[in-house]
Amino acid sequence: MKQLLLTLVVLVLLPVFQANAQQPRSPIDISALGPQVGEIVPDFSLPDQDGRVWTRDSIMGPNGALLLFHRSADW
Amino acid sequence: MELQDRLDELRADGLGVAAISYDPPDVLADFAERRGISFSLLSDDDSATIAAFGLLNTVAEEGLGPNGDDPTVKADVERYVSLLGPSPRIVGTPFPGTFLIDRQGRVTARFFEEFYRERNTTASIMLRLGTNMNPVAGLKGSTAHLEITAHQSDAEIAVGSHLTLALDIDPKPGMHVYAPGADDLGYQVVGLTISPEPFVQLLPLQYPSSEIYHFEPLDERVPVYQKPFTLIQEVVIEATEEAEEALHGVDVVSLTGRLDYQACDAEICFEPVSIPLSWTLTLSTLDRQRAKRP
Repeated sequence: MKQLLLTLVVLVLLPVFQANAQQPRSPIDISALGPQVGEIVPDFSLPDQDGRVWTRDSIMGPNGALLLFHRSADW
Repeated sequence: MELQDRLDELRADGLGVAAISYDPPDVLADFAERRGISFSLLSDDDSATIAAFGLLNTVAEEGLGPNGDDPTVKADVERYVSLLGPSPRIVGTPFPGTFLIDRQGRVTARFFEEFYRERNTTASIMLRLGTNMNPVAGLKGSTAHLEITAHQSDAEIAVGSHLTLALDIDPKPGMHVYAPGADDLGYQVVGLTISPEPFVQLLPLQYPSSEIYHFEPLDERVPVYQKPFTLIQEVVIEATEEAEEALHGVDVVSLTGRLDYQACDAEICFEPVSIPLSWTLTLSTLDRQRAKRP
């Protein structure tokens, strides 16, 4: 009975492992990452260099905002 | 930092400015002080906002993981992480880029790079968006049919800079030149051709939308430009190690090209014209100054 159960578990899991192993790695498409033109960007709440907290709405000027993502100021 | 230099122009255009990275606030404070940064440097030190935007650089982690030896992973690491290979410090960083958003938070434009060592200059983004800015003073010229001003987003650039050359063209009264699509009817479309230079990538020329001109004698409807318009040529100074080596010690990159067009008025089509043009770009060395470690 135990043997049968083990076999069943293996049989059930095998396709999962195979699917994972065979899944082709999808190439990075930078243009498809993140919010696209026309989409609303996520809200956030983050402190700045002076400890002041900013959100999507509070960074806005009268005509909107330029929001830059960069790798690091440290290196 | 070039963005800081453009801050007044961006604000005059009604735009708020903020930059997000995974650096802790003290590192940002040090950076802001050393560089005289007066806009908000936001600290996303757990990368949660970067992830919520869908911009987390997943290649950084992949390169360090069990698939690190996969050739496609290695190629992506070189492209998006570092030419020197995977590094734990890149984990948690975003794919770098810039969004323009309206007051509702809706994206109106986005600028991302396909290679981590390249970046759009702020001025280049602004020039492409038609933002009210002061581009580098251009060369003006005039023919029998057009007024032309050639300008560029940045006078000073570095390896990896993604900049914009622009050509403002103002047809004289009654004149038109041909827009893309007119070639199907046998007309010569206005075009800007830049001569290839080593380590300089030229992206496809960008045309603005045109209008339809009804040429009654032939009952032809042809796409043309009659009002002032701008041709946009984006240029990337390659940032490969080979390019960096070759451009080391080079102070100036000159790009030459020509504007070709055929102008017509309501009665006559004039002979095609070719005008030589040139742009001068001053190369500066990359700024690699880093924050001091406490």
